[in-house]
Amino acid sequence: MNLDWSIVWQSRWLLLEGAGVTILLTALTMLIAVPGGIVLALMRGSRFKPVALFATGFVELFRNVPLLLLVYWAFYVMPVLTGLGLSPFATGLVALCLNVSAYNSETFRSGINSIRKGQTEAGLALGMSKGEVFRQIILPQAWRRVLPILASTWVSLFKDTSLVSVIAVGELAHTAMQIRSQSFRVLEMLTAMAAIYWLMGYPQAKIVDWIHRKYGVRE
Amino acid sequence: MTAFARKNADKPPMLIYDKVRKNYGDFTALDGVSMHVNSGEVVCLIGPSGSGKSTLLRCTNALETIDDGEIRFEGKPLPKSDTETRKVRQRMGMVFQSFELFPHKTALENVAIGLTTVRKMDADEAHKRAMALLAKVGLADKTANYPANLSGGQQQRVAIARALAMEPHVMLFDEPTSALDPETVGEVLNVMRNLADEGMTMIVVTHEMSFARRVANWVVVFERGQLLEQGPPQQIFEAPTTERTREFLSHLGWNG
Ligand SMILES: Nc1ncnc2c1ncn2[C@@H]1O[C@H](COP(=O)(O)OP(=O)(O)O)[C@@H](O)[C@H]1O
Ligand SMILES: [Mg+2]
Repeated sequence: MNLDWSIVWQSRWLLLEGAGVTILLTALTMLIAVPGGIVLALMRGSRFKPVALFATGFVELFRNVPLLLLVYWAFYVMPVLTGLGLSPFATGLVALCLNVSAYNSETFRSGINSIRKGQTEAGLALGMSKGEVFRQIILPQAWRRVLPILASTWVSLFKDTSLVSVIAVGELAHTAMQIRSQSFRVLEMLTAMAAIYWLMGYPQAKIVDWIHRKYGVRE
Repeated sequence: MTAFARKNADKPPMLIYDKVRKNYGDFTALDGVSMHVNSGEVVCLIGPSGSGKSTLLRCTNALETIDDGEIRFEGKPLPKSDTETRKVRQRMGMVFQSFELFPHKTALENVAIGLTTVRKMDADEAHKRAMALLAKVGLADKTANYPANLSGGQQQRVAIARALAMEPHVMLFDEPTSALDPETVGEVLNVMRNLADEGMTMIVVTHEMSFARRVANWVVVFERGQLLEQGPPQQIFEAPTTERTREFLSHLGWNG
């Protein structure tokens, strides 16, 4: 077999840029989907039925549609429905945010529900408003329980961003595939891509393990 | 029965319960309860488990809403609006059986949080006050401890200090010593006794009959959501007027 690894070295700047886009996509998605998840979780708990119903529908829809399908949907259907002409990057970001917000909402909901009712009552008894109780008492405690799960979600998301390559977002997978199809160096590029994902993903997984140990619920 | 003058009977009562009813679905937890609490009084609520004592406390600070009747606090019926309810709650301190300290805050922060969040007091001033209150309950050396690093008795004393921080006009205690190891019950009862001596108005749900006997000015016996009997501790503990009270007390090992 005739392998030529020099193509990987020659493409290093392109690959690096792709990796950068992958990280940016992961970070931006989480930056939006964490508050998004909190808001959805709060909406699901709302006493105002239409609000709760909307949030439940949103979560159950976007959690249970395959992400790949969601990406295609965002690319082909969303512009028609909304009249918005977004860039592939923004379109991919929307698809990821819809999916991960729905996931995070469930994470926050279980975290919030795991805090005893007495904690809320203790806050209310001091004269706090429901919002103050949530921000000062419930959220900080739920946060500790939720953090390990969010960290795991981050790592899955980091890998799942590769799915947006199907709509030509220039992240790592798409970049590597482009180089592959131009150079015909299939084995080298796929191996290099796997290696780069692993090199970036492994330390993240280790950090997640550490977070699980540090913050895992021990009660 | 000999005439008995209740404490501050010449002044308007701090709390008046008028035919208070509370339902949970089909179940009636409070079935037309009428009683009152004068300012400066220590009123102990006793009675079998499930008789509605906690429910009465929780209706008092509007953690539960009542279905019929009226509760009047300092001359006014409990308000309907959220904002007014919060103002009323600031004038009532509550102490829970399970402490319910905030585990992510130190003892000092637990006591200060009401002042900083609700009263919008600046942190330095709030911490100064919290410090003084922790000293008052004998925990000046535990201000930096998290609840997990305090004994049950210490946690409950922090919880009392937390409630006192809001300068309440009445303190509501719901079985404050029931979750405690026997050796730490005394330290909590002492703090409560000191509060009573200072003239704090208190409603105390308790199974500590010797505390009720010695500290209460008035004792109310509950059974199945109804008021079985009420009177000064001498009457309840030495000459109960109903057989059911006698049975309940002897069940707890009280022999007068
Ligand atoms: N949130 C609730 N939902 C349904 N039933 C309740 C609720 N809270 C209390 N109860 C019922 O009301 C009755 C009185 O309860 P409670 O006031 O806690 O009694 P006590 O404090 O005297 O032991 C009990 O039978 C209890 O099961
Ligand atoms: Mg009770």
